[in-house]
Amino acid sequence: MDRIILGDNQFFGINHMSEEKAQALSEKFYDLKAIINVIDAAYDCGIRAFMLNTNERAKDICSYLRKNSARYADLRLYPSIPYPHKYADLVNEKGIFNAVKDIIISENSAKDIFGLLVKGSFTLFDRDSIKVMQLLIDTEMKIFHGLNIKVVFLQNVITDLLLGLGVKEIFIGYVNYIREKYSAEPGFITMNLPKLCNFLLDCGIENPIICSSINKIGYFMNPDISSYEKTIREKQFRPVAMSIFASGAIKPSEAVEYIHNLSNIKTIVFGASSGQHIKETKKLIESYLPVEDKKFQHV
Amino acid sequence: MLKAGFIGMGRMGITHFSILNAHPSVKTVAICDQSKTILNFFKKYVGVNTFSDYDKMIQESGLDFVVISTPTDSHAEIIKAAIANNLHIFVEKPLATSSVQGNEILRLLNGRSLVNQVGYVNRFNEVFMQVKQLLDEGLIGEIKNFTFEMFGCTVSKDSKSSWRSNRNLGGGCMYEFASHCIDLVVYLIGQPNKVIGNVLQSIFSSDVEDLVSSTFIYDNRCVGNILVNWSELSYRKPTNRIEICGKKGKIVADKHAYKVFLKESDESHTFHTGWNTRYITDCAEGVHFYVRGNEFSRQLSYFVDFIEKKRANNTSNFAEALKTDIVMEEIFNNCMEIKK
Repeated sequence: MDRIILGDNQFFGINHMSEEKAQALSEKFYDLKAIINVIDAAYDCGIRAFMLNTNERAKDICSYLRKNSARYADLRLYPSIPYPHKYADLVNEKGIFNAVKDIIISENSAKDIFGLLVKGSFTLFDRDSIKVMQLLIDTEMKIFHGLNIKVVFLQNVITDLLLGLGVKEIFIGYVNYIREKYSAEPGFITMNLPKLCNFLLDCGIENPIICSSINKIGYFMNPDISSYEKTIREKQFRPVAMSIFASGAIKPSEAVEYIHNLSNIKTIVFGASSGQHIKETKKLIESYLPVEDKKFQHV
Repeated sequence: MLKAGFIGMGRMGITHFSILNAHPSVKTVAICDQSKTILNFFKKYVGVNTFSDYDKMIQESGLDFVVISTPTDSHAEIIKAAIANNLHIFVEKPLATSSVQGNEILRLLNGRSLVNQVGYVNRFNEVFMQVKQLLDEGLIGEIKNFTFEMFGCTVSKDSKSSWRSNRNLGGGCMYEFASHCIDLVVYLIGQPNKVIGNVLQSIFSSDVEDLVSSTFIYDNRCVGNILVNWSELSYRKPTNRIEICGKKGKIVADKHAYKVFLKESDESHTFHTGWNTRYITDCAEGVHFYVRGNEFSRQLSYFVDFIEKKRANNTSNFAEALKTDIVMEEIFNNCMEIKK
C-alpha cells in the first residue's frame, strides 16, 4: 500500500465541517480541468495513489486518466464503492431492495442476469444475495476498467449498515470477489473502527485493510478515541488514517505528530484543493514519517 | 436485555435495526414487513423471526419495545396495538396524519408508564443541541423573530409510484420534510399560536406539494418564517438552516456549525462582542455505533436509556410531536395551493 493517498471529497463538494465551504468547493471544481490540475500537482510532487468514489464526475476523471495513460503510468487508484447519493432518489422512491433490482436490470445484459430470473419474476435476493452483491460491485467498478486498481474500499454507509446487521457472509463474499475478479485488495471504510476490526477478524479475514477517521480530537471516532488507540495498538490489521486534520480543526503539525505517535499506521489519506497545499502537507507528513521508516515500506 | 421488534423495514427501518442490533442492552428479535424479499434476507442472513402481520409479531415475540418505520398513515393503528400490549414505542416522524389521531394516542397512553418517542433526529444533532442550550440560558435575550429553512433534492421528478407522492398515505413535502423543520421550531422556539400566509407549491410532483412556506405568530409578538423545499436541486443532502434574532444578539446555525452575534460579550461561553463561530468539531461526541450520522444513534440510545432507567418526559415524546402535527394541520387547513 502507498504511504500517502490523495482523497477525493474536495472534488465533489464534500466538507464535513461547513456547508459554505462545501458549496465553494463544488463551484471551484465544476470544471474537470480544475480537478485534473490538482491531480497533476499531486502526481508531480510524487503522489501516485488516489482515492476515487463512483459518482458522475469520477467517471469523467477515469476517462481522462485512460486517455492520458502515458502521463499517469504509475498511477494507482483506490476506489471506494458505492457512491450512495447517486442512488438516493431511487431508494427514496422504491425502497432499498427494489432500487437494487432496478440498478442491476438497467446495468446488466439479459445474459448476465438470466440465471436470476425465475418465471419472469425477479427473485434473485431470495436465491442468492452474494450473487446480487457481485453484480452490484461489477456495476460500480465499470468506470475503472483499464486502470491500475490497488485496493477497492467498501464505502462507510454500506460497511457500517451491514456491520450493524452482522452479516458475515457478505463481508467474506466481498473480500473473495474483489481478490478473484479484480486482482485487487479489498478494504473497508468505517466510522466504527474497533467494532469493525473485531468483526472482520471474527470472519476469518486476515490482516484486513480498514480506513477510518483517526485524529487527535476524536472526531468521527466511535465509540471513542481510546478504543481506537487500543485497537490500533493491539489488533493485527492495516489501518488507513483519514480526517487526520478533522476538517481543519487541528493544527497540521499536531495532527501529523499524533499519527506518528500511534504505531502501526501505514497509510494516510488526505484531501486538499490546491497544488501548494498538497506539497506542504506531503512535506509535513514526510518530516514526521520519513520514507526510510520501516513501517512505511510498501506492502 | 430489552427485546425489540421492528415494523416497516424500508431505509429508516433497516437503519434503526442496524443501530439497535449493535446496542449492548438490546436484543433484536423480530421484524415485520410486507416484502417477502426483505423477510427472507433477514431470516437467512440476520437470523431474526419474521412476520408480515404486526399484531402476530407483537403477540408472539415477548417484546419490550417496537420501532415503527411504516408510511405515516399507518402509525396511529400500529401505535394503538403497541400501547394495548404495554410496549414502549419509537415511531418515525411525523406522529400521525391528524391531530384527532394524535390526541387519541395521548389519551390511550395516559396512566401508562411507556416511553414514547418520535424520530425527530435534529434534536440529537450536536449543533442544534448546543443552540437549544444557549437559548435556554437566555444568551440572545427575548426572541423577536426567526427564519428556519430546509432544502434538499429528494424529489427531482414526478413519481407516482411511491407512497411519498400520496398525501393520504403520509407523503408530500409537508409530512416527510417540513415536519423536521417545524419540529425544530417547536424544539427551539415553541409552538406558534397562529400560522398565516401559508403556501404549498408543486414543483415536480403532480399530487403533492414540494414546497411549504408559512409565517408563525406567537402571543408575545415574536414572528417567524419557515421555507421548506425538497425539490431544491442545488443541495447534495437535506440541509437545515436557522436564524434566530433576540434583543441581545442572534444565532445562525446549520448541522455543521453555528455563529453567534452578540451586542455584549459573554464570558461564560468565551463569546466576544460581534460574531463568534463554532464548528461541529468543537462539540462533537462519539456514539456507541455510527450509521449514517451520529444523531440517528444518539436518539435511539436516548430512547433505550429512558426505558432502562424508567425515566419520563423525554424530548420528542408523542405530546411534543403532536404540536408539530397540529401546526402542519393548520397550514393544510389555511393554505393557498399553487399547482404545477
